[in-house]
Amino acid sequence: MGRTILVGTRKGLFLIREDDDDGYTLDPPLLAGWEVLHAVRDSRDGTLFACTNSFVHGGQLHRSSDGGETWELAEGLGLPEESGLKLGKTWHVEPGLASQPGVVWLGAEPACLFRSEDGGATFTSVTALLEHPTRDRWQPGAGGLICHSITLDPTDPDRLYIGISAAGVFRTEDGGRSWTPANKGTAADFMPDDPYPELGQCVHKVYVHPGKPERLWQQNHCGVYRSDDRGESWERLDGNGLPSDFGFGLGLDPDDPDVAYVIPEHGAGNRVTTDDRLGVYKTTDGGASWRLEADGLPEPAWSVILREGMDYDAYGVAFGTQSGFVYARPHEGRWVEAARHLPPVLSVSLSD
Amino acid sequence: MAVLRLTGLLAQEVGARRVEVDAATVGEALRSLPGSLVLDEHGDLRPLVHVYVDGSREHDLGAPLEQGAEVILIAAIAGGEEVTERPRQSSGCRGSSPR
Repeated sequence: MGRTILVGTRKGLFLIREDDDDGYTLDPPLLAGWEVLHAVRDSRDGTLFACTNSFVHGGQLHRSSDGGETWELAEGLGLPEESGLKLGKTWHVEPGLASQPGVVWLGAEPACLFRSEDGGATFTSVTALLEHPTRDRWQPGAGGLICHSITLDPTDPDRLYIGISAAGVFRTEDGGRSWTPANKGTAADFMPDDPYPELGQCVHKVYVHPGKPERLWQQNHCGVYRSDDRGESWERLDGNGLPSDFGFGLGLDPDDPDVAYVIPEHGAGNRVTTDDRLGVYKTTDGGASWRLEADGLPEPAWSVILREGMDYDAYGVAFGTQSGFVYARPHEGRWVEAARHLPPVLSVSLSD
Repeated sequence: MAVLRLTGLLAQEVGARRVEVDAATVGEALRSLPGSLVLDEHGDLRPLVHVYVDGSREHDLGAPLEQGAEVILIAAIAGGEEVTERPRQSSGCRGSSPR
């Protein structure tokens, strides 16, 4: 197939290359020593981006235009002094649409978003999010107060969605100049007074479906959800075949908007996969029902998959575990171990 | 002219363990390094990077550099915290988990 799986780990970025015989080749790590919370290859020009973090040197973004041979640090990643805030970890990098050459988005801590117009060389903080009138009601999740999901409407460059833990999903219709909470119907069971607030939800991952952009899928701290109206309202989908409503990883099928994958974990207090196994659950009917698809996965197992730890493309899905294993499969087929004994996997990203 | 001596990830990023810089102050020398690796977005020294000028710890970014001064940057390896005053009572091991 010739695909590459980009695997961000606690200690560097690994590229796993899919061979012609469906085997995998693992290269030595790039960006050795950096904690890579997310990495992608920009489908527009092949640039590699990596959200790199160090407890000494802070949150950074590295980019490479030569496949990882050499890297440059992005400039301008920081928050204005008058905000009283400083940049924490960088969590998610999202290249813009093909119609927006040069645009790159970056989500980071503390719940901030940056936009680049020059292919990721320099970034500017998105003021409307930094100064959002509801910011004082946002609370950090276990990973901090983080903007970790950025998902684009492929039909409208001005419409995108972000996920902030724990503030919820926000949508912009004007390219980031204003942001509206989009959490109606999603639960925040941990809120003492109102389990369905306007905001404050702990979204774990959110995606726009690339072929049906009015449809969104969300794995939340409190449930799995689907929206068919651009996030105006959400329908809860767990309780019909899923062993748990809690999890992080989420996968889709670009060719079928009714397909989604989740990896349930016991819950907030016990973040390992359910039923003493590593189980991926798939729906093919928009979330009305789910079935276990674990052929090729280990059992018994008690695995941990993080929010960026799963990705999908037209061919299939892949995910990585905190125990350093990476698995991949086509949308119809069995799981294959693509790598083992890596450092703890923080992110997985599929690339042609 | 001063000499910057680098360690760890910083040396990896710069591609050298020793760099000559034309700088009149400690801050100028540190600003010659790429991005925000040593100084954060507000120009503050990152708390887990320690600066030594000719063998003495230097906290003042405005401190002048003598011609030929040696500036050593030492980054924390396993974490820990900046202790600004002694704890009143020992609580045993204060170390952080190794990473």
